[in-house]
Amino acid sequence: MKNTMKLLVVGAALAAASAPAHAEDKAKAEVMTSWTSGSEAAALDVIKREFEKRGGVWKDSSIAGFGAADAAFQNRLVAGDPPAAKQAVLGLANADFVGQGLLRPIDDIAKAGKWAEVLPKSIHDLITYNGQVYLSPTGAHGESWVFYSKDAFAKAGVNGEPKNWDEFFASLDKLKAAGIQPVAWGGQSWQESKVFNMILLTQAGMDGFLKIYVDKDKSDASVKSVTKTLNILGKLRAYVDEGAAGRNWNDATAMVITGKAGVQFMGDWAKGEFVAAGKELGKDYGCMLAPQSPGMVYVADSFSFPKIADAASQNGQALLAEVAMDPAVQVAFSLKKGSVPIRTDVDKSKLDICARKGLELMGAGRIVPDQALILSPQQAGALNDFVDEFWSNPSENSAAAAEKFFAIFE
Amino acid sequence: MTTLAHPRGAKPSRLSVGRIGLYAFLILSALFFLLPLYTMLVTSLKSMDEIRQGHVFALPDTLDFSAWKTAWSGACMGTQCLGVRIGFWNSVKITVPAVVISVSIGAINGYALSLWRPKGSNLLFGLLMAGGLIPYQIFLYPLVRLLADLSLYNSVAGVVLVHVIFGLPLVTLLFRNYFVAIPEELCKAARVDGAGFWRIFLEIMLPMSVPMVMVASIFQFTGIWNDFLIGLVFAGRDNLPMTVQLNNIVNTTMGERTYNMNMAATILTAVVPLAIYFFSGRWFLRGVAAGAVKG
Amino acid sequence: MRAKRRRSLAATFALLPTWIAAILVYIGTMIWSVRLSFTDSTIFPSSNYVGFAQYARLFKNSRWLASLENVLIFGVLYVGGCLALGFVLAAALDRKVRFESMFRTIFLYPYAMSFVVTGLIWQWMLNPTLGIQATVRALGWQGFVFDWIVNRDMAIYTVVFAGVWQGAGLVMVIALAGMRGIGEEQWKAAQIDGIPVWRIYLSIILPQLGPALAASGMLLSMGVIKTYDLIVAQTGGGPGYSTEVPAKFIMDNLFERQNLGLASAGATVLVLSVVMAVAPFRYALAMRAGRMGAHR
Repeated sequence: MKNTMKLLVVGAALAAASAPAHAEDKAKAEVMTSWTSGSEAAALDVIKREFEKRGGVWKDSSIAGFGAADAAFQNRLVAGDPPAAKQAVLGLANADFVGQGLLRPIDDIAKAGKWAEVLPKSIHDLITYNGQVYLSPTGAHGESWVFYSKDAFAKAGVNGEPKNWDEFFASLDKLKAAGIQPVAWGGQSWQESKVFNMILLTQAGMDGFLKIYVDKDKSDASVKSVTKTLNILGKLRAYVDEGAAGRNWNDATAMVITGKAGVQFMGDWAKGEFVAAGKELGKDYGCMLAPQSPGMVYVADSFSFPKIADAASQNGQALLAEVAMDPAVQVAFSLKKGSVPIRTDVDKSKLDICARKGLELMGAGRIVPDQALILSPQQAGALNDFVDEFWSNPSENSAAAAEKFFAIFE
Repeated sequence: MTTLAHPRGAKPSRLSVGRIGLYAFLILSALFFLLPLYTMLVTSLKSMDEIRQGHVFALPDTLDFSAWKTAWSGACMGTQCLGVRIGFWNSVKITVPAVVISVSIGAINGYALSLWRPKGSNLLFGLLMAGGLIPYQIFLYPLVRLLADLSLYNSVAGVVLVHVIFGLPLVTLLFRNYFVAIPEELCKAARVDGAGFWRIFLEIMLPMSVPMVMVASIFQFTGIWNDFLIGLVFAGRDNLPMTVQLNNIVNTTMGERTYNMNMAATILTAVVPLAIYFFSGRWFLRGVAAGAVKG
Repeated sequence: MRAKRRRSLAATFALLPTWIAAILVYIGTMIWSVRLSFTDSTIFPSSNYVGFAQYARLFKNSRWLASLENVLIFGVLYVGGCLALGFVLAAALDRKVRFESMFRTIFLYPYAMSFVVTGLIWQWMLNPTLGIQATVRALGWQGFVFDWIVNRDMAIYTVVFAGVWQGAGLVMVIALAGMRGIGEEQWKAAQIDGIPVWRIYLSIILPQLGPALAASGMLLSMGVIKTYDLIVAQTGGGPGYSTEVPAKFIMDNLFERQNLGLASAGATVLVLSVVMAVAPFRYALAMRAGRMGAHR
């Protein structure tokens, strides 16, 4: 199997090398993403239109659900028929593909666009493998947000945004007393992990967070941070309704939208649901960082470019890489998708408060990557399993569980 | 307890306790079975605001058919907003040949395995049964490589081939059970007359097995039409069936979900198998009576 | 008496495509899978052999162990439930009721629907705050509790509901056809003896439908192992691992978690267990069929 794999790769590389990309070959690209919902598709459309404006031919290949998209993509790679571009999360998830020589570096385009200067350093590191840039980032999603219903807060007598965890829990109590569901919770492992990380950042601080996930540090300080995080996470159980298990995140958002629930811990893509329901940021709902959060957990998307023999597609890849990082495209894309532009030098005026805050934090370097970027998919999955087990097990002791946490990295 | 008449006897002319109980049971069961469909229909006719209120069983305030229209021709998957309509013909192109071929092979297999039993029949049958018990996911990688080597990847022919292979256990089981019940004298007499394997099959067995052909076709049609994984992996990008379109509409991870449209899209995708069940119920019963029944 | 000597070449030839498929695809894939289970493959197959390490990891993985337990519980209850409910529905319809055709369609239509969304519907219906519990409470029974789906110990049974909803109709049709095939004389004789109707069904009709129900059971069992869509749509494997099944474990590890080695180990264990469980059963059936054939 390995030899055939090598043959395929060599074959593709040879074909790629021997077919010099003529400038006359029209740039065309088949783009595979999971951006199938209304706002996501609108955002993708922004890139598509700019791509076509610059003379490219766009072919859409969308598969909803990351699992299904990965399945389709990997199988097409194996069959030797990859798409020209694939939506990919930054970081470790692509390492294997690069290692097998299946992705094409876009270093030349990155240097031409001076990406190293306009991207935060930590992000630039995550699109670089073995010293070369392979990914063209499209935008970042902040994941340390707590969305709240202004209506619900008013009814419960909560003024302003709680500044620390004690005040936060006090607000939750007030919501409970007013008969409003304090926390709208979606009981799926990926959602629970995101909340876990949000809280971990507030307990471990930026350096502590990175130490745990990147250095796999197991010192007392780290264990303490995890224990404290689990304590807070455990406390939240009391504020969650019994129907939370298995609930989709947008069903939880619906609870906040209708004022039935007070807050939801979610990434900034939740704004899409509010917008679709006609709610206004600042008037009907608000966004705040998780209490005491020194920064923001983020996840970022990009396009990766499988090695492909066809010259027109190669031109398409180069064009797409450029277009995705274009400042105007970045802003327009973010506006539709609810994300934050990944370039720090864009025009902030059109962004909403949450996105602006996110961009500020990015510019100041106060961001830490979500586990999908710095853990291998296996470890990220193990983290999901861990948090899910802890959450569904009210009798579990935080200290004992904290020990189990570090087993993820094995 | 009163002795009730046999179904073929005279129809009972009065409602006895037992009779009422029977109907009560049937109606309650029918409600259980219909509940999900009702919920889907009702949701598809509500507006998103209503759905957010979370009253799953409530009737819609106003009948809103816009979700249906969007689902058919306007739903977006990526930047294409063409609805599930575009997948419809792909589904047909994939399902019809796959059903025809797999049922034909199943009939031949069943016939050969039960009435002729060449060497290794039991082994082959055992292999097929064992193979039918393995989840599809395991086959994906090797099959993709195999089809790519045969240049069948990303083609309708490739998907059809995969469906035929995966359908072998089911159709072979059905037909073998069917033919096993056929009296041997029939076959013997034909052979004495000098007919060979194929002649007996085409002129005697196949015409006799029409009900079973219907049953197997209906089973296969449903399974293949509703399949998602095989279509996703093997149809490549140009021949994606309706179910992949449906998945794109329904399973977005981080985007908003328009539930009313999702429900409408699901029902639209299910319309063809549902229609087939509706109109073929009679055949189904007849076919099952004739064959699958016997062990 | 079959002419055992004259093995028709045509028959062997006709079975050739199936032989090729069986060997190349079924056996070939299993061999490939087993080989991979001894490597450290992540996304792509590697040739780095690590002995039984993946199996060790597999059996230390509580998600996998839970999935095995769940598929067993689900399998037994699902097949049993479909057979039981299907038989009872068939018996009910056999009683010459009005609108039989309509009832039959109602019981059979779920089989036409894919679980991708019907699973979600079941999730809504069984969710305590949205579905049945909320509705019954709203109707007045404040104390009504039906929150199995969010309960770790009970969630697996909710999946059985949805499964039986889909599969019972199939058994019903098969059983009903069988019942219609039972001779008039048997009925008359039983009624003369004064046996109540329900006992006739249980003691006389049911045994005769044995083979038919066994075949249905086999068909249903093939579906059990492959159960994936239902779980993903209805519970996502949760709460915790309580509704995880092997097909989902394998699928998750194959693509999302990029762990081909572990997935292959899981697949091998699954297939071995199934073969070991089913083989004696099939062998017995084959023997029986052989004996029956010899008596013709």
